[in-house]
Amino acid sequence: MSRVELLGADQVPLLARPYYPEDGSASPIVRALAQVPELLEVAMPFVARVFGPTSLDLRTKEIVVLRVSARNGCRYCIDTHTVAAWDAGLSEAETAALRSAGTGFSPAEAALVGFCDAFCDAPAPVPPDVAHGLQAHFPDHAVVELSLLAGATVMLNRFCTALELPTTPATRARLEAAA
Amino acid sequence: MSARDGTAETLGAAIEAGRVADRVWLYSNYHCNLSCVYCLTESSPRAARRLLPPDDMIAAADEAVVLGYRALGVTGGEPFLTPGMPELLAALAARLPTLVLTNATLFTERLLDRLRPLADLPLTIQISLDSAQPEINDELRGPRNFAKVMQAIPRLVDMGIPVRIATTGDHNTAEEMERLCALHRSLGVDDDDHVVRPIVRRGRAVDGGLGVVADAKDLFPELTLTADGAFWSPFAPTVYEGRLDTDLLLTRQRLPLDASTRALLAVAESNPAGTDTTLNIR
Repeated sequence: MSRVELLGADQVPLLARPYYPEDGSASPIVRALAQVPELLEVAMPFVARVFGPTSLDLRTKEIVVLRVSARNGCRYCIDTHTVAAWDAGLSEAETAALRSAGTGFSPAEAALVGFCDAFCDAPAPVPPDVAHGLQAHFPDHAVVELSLLAGATVMLNRFCTALELPTTPATRARLEAAA
Repeated sequence: MSARDGTAETLGAAIEAGRVADRVWLYSNYHCNLSCVYCLTESSPRAARRLLPPDDMIAAADEAVVLGYRALGVTGGEPFLTPGMPELLAALAARLPTLVLTNATLFTERLLDRLRPLADLPLTIQISLDSAQPEINDELRGPRNFAKVMQAIPRLVDMGIPVRIATTGDHNTAEEMERLCALHRSLGVDDDDHVVRPIVRRGRAVDGGLGVVADAKDLFPELTLTADGAFWSPFAPTVYEGRLDTDLLLTRQRLPLDASTRALLAVAESNPAGTDTTLNIR
């Protein structure tokens, strides 16, 4: 049960209406943000751009989002991005690893996992050896994007956990089917 | 050109084109001494007050002038339940012509004395009156409402304060409407100052299945500020079963008025011309 009312289709504010698909699949994040339409209409384009297709491949991005969410203990984001990671090509074993020890990945992806772990240890600079390990595999523009993606994930982790947003039935069904 | 200048220019064009209203509505409060059967806001003596701070109303009026709005409206709830309403109305009317909606049941001699200076300002008082038959009017609006309205209107007219009559609902037959019109004329209120509007099926009207269902496309866009934010129309910030309706909410932020005006214009301009006000509810 969410800590705030998640606005249903009959209460969608005018500026929020474009973010409510007709099939009723508006996410709990959208339904919470709809309480403040003027923030929804700037937050969701940002979230869609950062988490959607960019120069980084989706597999790399989902590793970051799921690992950061696991380190922050955000149940909503872990559930949602376990399924999203499967859709991005990660195996069930890989998503299980990202939710636990974070081992079993290629050198580049292991560097990514190490970066996520250090990122979540903030406030502190990422240790030089971790930063250099990441930069051995990713150019500067990718490091910038990965840092923004990790930061945006932390923001959503805090938001979803504080408001106790519910895992959607569709996500829950996928997780239960795989269990 | 500043962002606000740009908003003013766009607003001016939209007003001229008849796509948005030139009036800003201010919901001073939500509580009321009456509990009308069709009330949009479930107002009553027990309703949450949801007071709009007077300083915000003045700030909104000041910015409304700069943006090019041409009028203000004050509604509720019953505005005259809030302390200092006559003086607040004087401050608002000194900035822009102001219309205040009231049930006219609270006009004691003392309150009338405080209203007297308003005769020199562009202020109009709109009073609800739903039937020329006291028993029908009072069934809709509350005991002894008719008698109090009959007392108040001549006093205000005598003081030189313009009065409008608002009739809500379609219960009057042609003959009954003619009696109502004869009545308001006898009280010194011209036909041009009598508005008749349908009940909108929101708030308390939902339970009775009263009136017409209206969405944004049916309601003329009139920027409306309440304690809860900025809304599409004065028919928008309704309450049902104690919960605020958000389906016609624009922004939670009320001020600066520039921001809420831009939100209103964005939605209004996204509607194809001719799709608005199909029910002519204003």
